[in-house]
Amino acid sequence: MSPSRVLGAAALVALALGPWVLARHQLSLLTDLLISGLFAMSLDLILGYTGMLSFGHAAYFGLGAYASALVLLEFAQPVPVALAAGMLLAGAVAVPVGWLSTRSTGVYFAMLTLAFAQFLYTVAYKWRSLTGGSDGIAGVPKTELFWGGPSLASSQAFYLLAAACVVLSLLICRAIVRSPFGRALQAIRENERRFTSLGRDPRPFKLVVFVIAAVFAGLAGALFAPFRGFASPEVMFWVFSGQGLMMVTIGGIGTLIGPILGAMVFILLQEILSSYTEHWMIFTGVVFVLIVVFLPGGLVGTARRLGVRG
Amino acid sequence: MLETRGLGRSFGALQAVADVSFGVEAGELRAVIGPNGAGKTTLFHLISGLLAPSAGRVLFRGDDVTALAAPARCRRGISRTFQITSIFPELSVLENTRIAVQLKAGGSFRLVGGRSVLDASERRARESLMFLGLADRADEPASTLPHGDQRLLEIAMAVAQEPALLLLDEPTQGLAPDDTAATVAVIRQVAHEQKLTIILVEHDMDVVFDLADRISVLHFGRLIAEGTPAEIRASADVQKAYLGGLD
Repeated sequence: MSPSRVLGAAALVALALGPWVLARHQLSLLTDLLISGLFAMSLDLILGYTGMLSFGHAAYFGLGAYASALVLLEFAQPVPVALAAGMLLAGAVAVPVGWLSTRSTGVYFAMLTLAFAQFLYTVAYKWRSLTGGSDGIAGVPKTELFWGGPSLASSQAFYLLAAACVVLSLLICRAIVRSPFGRALQAIRENERRFTSLGRDPRPFKLVVFVIAAVFAGLAGALFAPFRGFASPEVMFWVFSGQGLMMVTIGGIGTLIGPILGAMVFILLQEILSSYTEHWMIFTGVVFVLIVVFLPGGLVGTARRLGVRG
Repeated sequence: MLETRGLGRSFGALQAVADVSFGVEAGELRAVIGPNGAGKTTLFHLISGLLAPSAGRVLFRGDDVTALAAPARCRRGISRTFQITSIFPELSVLENTRIAVQLKAGGSFRLVGGRSVLDASERRARESLMFLGLADRADEPASTLPHGDQRLLEIAMAVAQEPALLLLDEPTQGLAPDDTAATVAVIRQVAHEQKLTIILVEHDMDVVFDLADRISVLHFGRLIAEGTPAEIRASADVQKAYLGGLD
């Protein structure tokens, strides 16, 4: 077995053992890490594999969170229905946004995605009757696994659901980046003009991957709402999009697993530093700069260079 | 195989290509020569579809393809290389060539699996790399190849697509004499064994007179002469415009 397979198997076993060895607040933190990791991984599909710098990815996380919150609170449906609703809404909104944004590239693409995300943030902020405005939607319940099925209210049960979603998403995304479609994305990242002259218009590829990334971000958001019990405009704010970019960069652009680890490092740093100082952002920033300068390729990229082959 | 009628392209006040009408027969190796800024690369962009013409039309195998964009023209059988090496630097030599095959052959929207697409395109890519003498570098990142091999890789990518018409934009640019000779040999081999129609833009007159069946001469965007290498050598106009300093 290759070292990466051993590592993967070990990580799976560790994740599965979580509910039996971790205390409740630790399990809760791990759930948080996994959800953020899923968000960062979805961003890696467009940033790392396709070379599209989206500065508005939080919007799809937020859409997932709101859709999930409403389905759980208003209709008391099982959690998987809420997850499906979150993915559907995020993906549906990503179609027109992606269709327009992928008409431009580089900084202009980044600015367009940012503008659309801030627009959606404003909608969430102002549409009080639906979203609760700045208060958001509170009291989102963790309902059951299926109609009449086991409750997900315990932190153990919800953790297992979140972990399963993240592992499954990772496997699907890995299959995608290794497929003919995924290979085409990487060629687009490397040289769009050459791609065009080899027989395909890159835009449909960019649109499809943009929507796929939004769907997985929507899933992360849809898990977030019942996990935290609320959805609020903050999760759609541009700061969260920026943090996503930092998570991907810390973990390793274009590696899928890297951004999950990067998100974990980012959140843990935030947890630890914020217990000492309210200026934790300064120190997170310093760590970020150090990693970018001294560990190009992020954590996973560096590990691979040092010989752990994936 | 290819015909242009009154083809023109201007950039603002600059008329880069003007009223170019010429035809290339199937199986022919045509060279297009002309001083810097004569419009050779612009002409290639117009034929391959990367630029839309301001006037005239392009006919390929009897069909008017003027309205088709570059990707569609490539799928119809026009493949090209670039004057400034254009590859996928971080991808392997094999993957560069494989993706060229895949993009032309189809199946690029297979999101999961797609093993058959990958395998078939890889087989074809390996053949092409073997043909171009790059097979033993297949797994290296393209960016680590020396310049000469990168030029060859571009040709390998185009040849792997099994085009009907191959456009080579200065394939020997920046090459050492040995590499130039090797590239000339490869182009001759491609032309003969794959029975391709080739249009070649080239500055190196030795290469041009060595390879070309016929030569077209561009000057300030206009076609000023066309003929066999012997005719072009003898033409007074061409001597004045271009070759004067060389002989």
